[in-house]
Amino acid sequence: MLKYFKSNESILFFLLIILCIFLSFYNPQFYSIQNINSILRSSSTVMIVAFGMTILLTSGEVDLSVGALMSFVTVIVMDVINISGSLFLGFLAVFIFCLMIGLINGLVRTMLNVNSLIATLAMMLILQGSVYIYSMAAIYNTHLLPFFTFIGQGFVFKIPMPVIIMLFILPFFIFLLNYTKYGRYFTAIGSNPSSSSLSGINNNKFKILGFVITSLLVGVAGIILASLMDTGQQGSAKGFELIVIAAVLLGGTSFKGGSGTVIGTILGILILKVIDNGIILMRIPQEFQLVVPGVILILAVYFDTLRKEKNV
Amino acid sequence: MNRLYKYLNNGEVALGIIFLIIFIFFSFASEYFFSLRNIMNVSGQLSIILIASVGFAVLLIAGEVDISIGSLLAFVAIPLVQIMNHTESVMLGIIVCILFGAIIGLINGFLSIYLGISSLIVTLGMLFILRGAVYLYTGQRPISDELYSDFFFNIGNGKLFGTIPYAALVGIVILLIFIFIMKNTSYGRKLYAIGGNAEVARLAGYNIKLLKLSAFVICSVLSSVSAILLASRIGSANHVAGDLFEFQVVAAVVLGGVSLAGGIGTLTGAALGVLILAVISNGLGMLNVESQWQMVLNGIIIILAVGFDELKRRKN
Amino acid sequence: MKIFSWLMTVIVASTLSFSSFANPKKIGYIVNYGTHEWYQNVIFGLQSRADELGIDFEVMDANLDINKQTAMAEDFMTKAVDVLIMTPVNEEGVVPILRKAKADGTPVVLEGNPAKGMTTLFAICDYDAGYKAGDAVGRILVSRGETEARVMDVGLPLLSATVLRSLGFMEAIAKHVDAVKVHELDGSGMIDSSVEVASAALAADSNINVIYGINDGSALGGLQAWRAAGLPENDLIVAGTGAEGLAFLNEMTKENTPYLVEAAMFPEGVGYTGMNLAVDLFNGVDVPEHKVTPTLALTVHNYANYYSFDKAGQTRQINFENVANIPTETKCTKYASDL
Repeated sequence: MLKYFKSNESILFFLLIILCIFLSFYNPQFYSIQNINSILRSSSTVMIVAFGMTILLTSGEVDLSVGALMSFVTVIVMDVINISGSLFLGFLAVFIFCLMIGLINGLVRTMLNVNSLIATLAMMLILQGSVYIYSMAAIYNTHLLPFFTFIGQGFVFKIPMPVIIMLFILPFFIFLLNYTKYGRYFTAIGSNPSSSSLSGINNNKFKILGFVITSLLVGVAGIILASLMDTGQQGSAKGFELIVIAAVLLGGTSFKGGSGTVIGTILGILILKVIDNGIILMRIPQEFQLVVPGVILILAVYFDTLRKEKNV
Repeated sequence: MNRLYKYLNNGEVALGIIFLIIFIFFSFASEYFFSLRNIMNVSGQLSIILIASVGFAVLLIAGEVDISIGSLLAFVAIPLVQIMNHTESVMLGIIVCILFGAIIGLINGFLSIYLGISSLIVTLGMLFILRGAVYLYTGQRPISDELYSDFFFNIGNGKLFGTIPYAALVGIVILLIFIFIMKNTSYGRKLYAIGGNAEVARLAGYNIKLLKLSAFVICSVLSSVSAILLASRIGSANHVAGDLFEFQVVAAVVLGGVSLAGGIGTLTGAALGVLILAVISNGLGMLNVESQWQMVLNGIIIILAVGFDELKRRKN
Repeated sequence: MKIFSWLMTVIVASTLSFSSFANPKKIGYIVNYGTHEWYQNVIFGLQSRADELGIDFEVMDANLDINKQTAMAEDFMTKAVDVLIMTPVNEEGVVPILRKAKADGTPVVLEGNPAKGMTTLFAICDYDAGYKAGDAVGRILVSRGETEARVMDVGLPLLSATVLRSLGFMEAIAKHVDAVKVHELDGSGMIDSSVEVASAALAADSNINVIYGINDGSALGGLQAWRAAGLPENDLIVAGTGAEGLAFLNEMTKENTPYLVEAAMFPEGVGYTGMNLAVDLFNGVDVPEHKVTPTLALTVHNYANYYSFDKAGQTRQINFENVANIPTETKCTKYASDL
């Protein structure tokens, strides 16, 4: 029992519960279906990308280009579907593009040995610039395919579609990280790269895989965002990478690699999104949406460090 | 022959050659690039990034990082301009501004070193907190310099003998002082030691915590100097100042061969990194190249330069 | 080819020498955020007029970096432009630039907001544009027999221009019906952030009947959030600002859309006017301190007078003549300094 309370996830879980109770006292609207759906919908794109980022950070890498890639995806998917009239071709184009970007990120990291913080920062610049070379103007929905609108805005049994897509992807990652040898490989690569390589794991292969998975997930999130905005918009998803990384770190994954859980990541995102939502619900100046997550992030990681020191 | 090879293999020399090639290219490509006026302008323009980069590089060498410097740029300009407006004393404003910078450096350092939270996280949090604080305090309106003194205007805009920007002079003096400190003093060598291998440094009896704390303060104080130059150039404490500044500094310093892992790199290299990016940006502007191409080119150059550097290191 | 263009220059120059004024040879424009659709269209207007007058026109994009903007002004002066046009990243940030340009002898024309030490400015009146949209929405509410406007304002507190728009909108509605600002939001001027904050606000209280957006992205973001929440659109009125690109035309021409009003600011016309102002300043003609460019509340009934657009080709064409004939204010009702 005591051990259970000491785990990072349970602390985050209690923090989340306390936040929810506090907010519901303040404004009963917090528990309305509509508000919960709004929180879950805006969480789901962050979560989808964060699954990939959890794997990357666990293996000691990071990807700063996710926000720029996501905005590029909204442009590509809208443009290709407008031209071809085919959802399949639109999605195919997105996933080929994302696969390519993930591969480049991974190869620059492993073959050229460039620190991933720098490699993906450079990729961010490249994507931010080249999306405007692809098209200066925003791409509007002229195909008007109903299913495309449904992806971001639709409901199934009163649950928003983005949430369903997220729930569809989630078990795969829980399974991958907890119940397969591959999950352990990612952890091993991050916590002790030289010993994992000695034990016969191809570190580079798994690192490239991590980048590719993250980019493909950005593809999914980008399609949802395009549907939600009903537009392919350059410059959207600004600062998305920082939110994803902050949430994953809050969820207990270490920047130095080696530890990380998908459940922790989910809780981290929910906490940040509930705070965002609460600030609007309580009609506090929206500037606090910057300050509060900053403080929470430092505190959470501090408590995490304290606990780990005690356990040692 | 062997000596020549060894010489060329030195990172700084290689960067210097890259810089020269770029410089010569733009001199031929644009009629405006190679003029005393333009070169002096660029040297003034780059000093804001240069000064912050010196501090950032010192901190990286000591094995820590501070990505809150962009928000700090906006934050510390507020006491600067407020005090100038209310007391009519530029010096008092500058002193308090630097004091604020030092305090933020102490806070970043204390949280990272004494509480053991990774400095990347502390300063990521600080990035949000400072920017949010600026928005809250200013209500997202700039605070303009109402004193309008020639002295403050000249810090960032004036030129000695009408030719050499004062900003460039400030930058060069700070660069030279810190090159000397890092190369020729025991303090500098200790910073390299703790960044390269903290365990060995501890066994050697260095006070790691205090040394690292000092590096945080150096980084924040030098960023505050950049903030003063910027405030002078934009005539205000501005809530939009310094947005994404940290990325520009990281790119320049790493391009200059300073390792994110700590303990490796020189300030000369960092300065060359700043110089190369600034000259590329100016040269492309002179050639009227669209800004989206500039972003793409910057990204590619960073990957190639850092990748090349890493490959060479592996070979050795 | 070179000889041809040289010949052309000689011919054009000799023709011009008959008129009393000479056109400037080179004009530079520093834009604050050149990839934004609004500024793309401002640049289109500037370029169109520069082409007509045979002026060499160059653009540099500060991309919201206030430090870069100062460097670009120095770079343009090195390039010896005859006139420098600027849209400030922030109007307070250009005061030192104006001082330097004066010392250098380069005339500066500002777009957007006034700054200390400036000579002349061309811009829409933000307050009045918002006011016109509010006025149109107020009339529709009255015609529907409503007595109260419950407004969700998807704003942008970062810029004084956008704060003025929201203010004008609310004050105009209040002339017609009781006006309550139920939500005051910061949508960052981007559609994705606007969807997110509007979703949260609508969850807290969806009892509203007017959505106002300080630009097209904000208005459409508010509307998208409304739709994603599955709320009925019958009694809703959405009003946007800017007429930045095709987005509002696409939405406004849909059947049964609640997007009824757009405070159009005609960016192409803004650019066209700005180039004329720059030429006048160069020639020493007496220029006004603020050259106001037209704004108008567009609806589905009158947009065709000013814009024709082609949905499939994703382009729009402005009718410069009709836009130029719109009556304008001589002075704005409110400026940033009134906030």
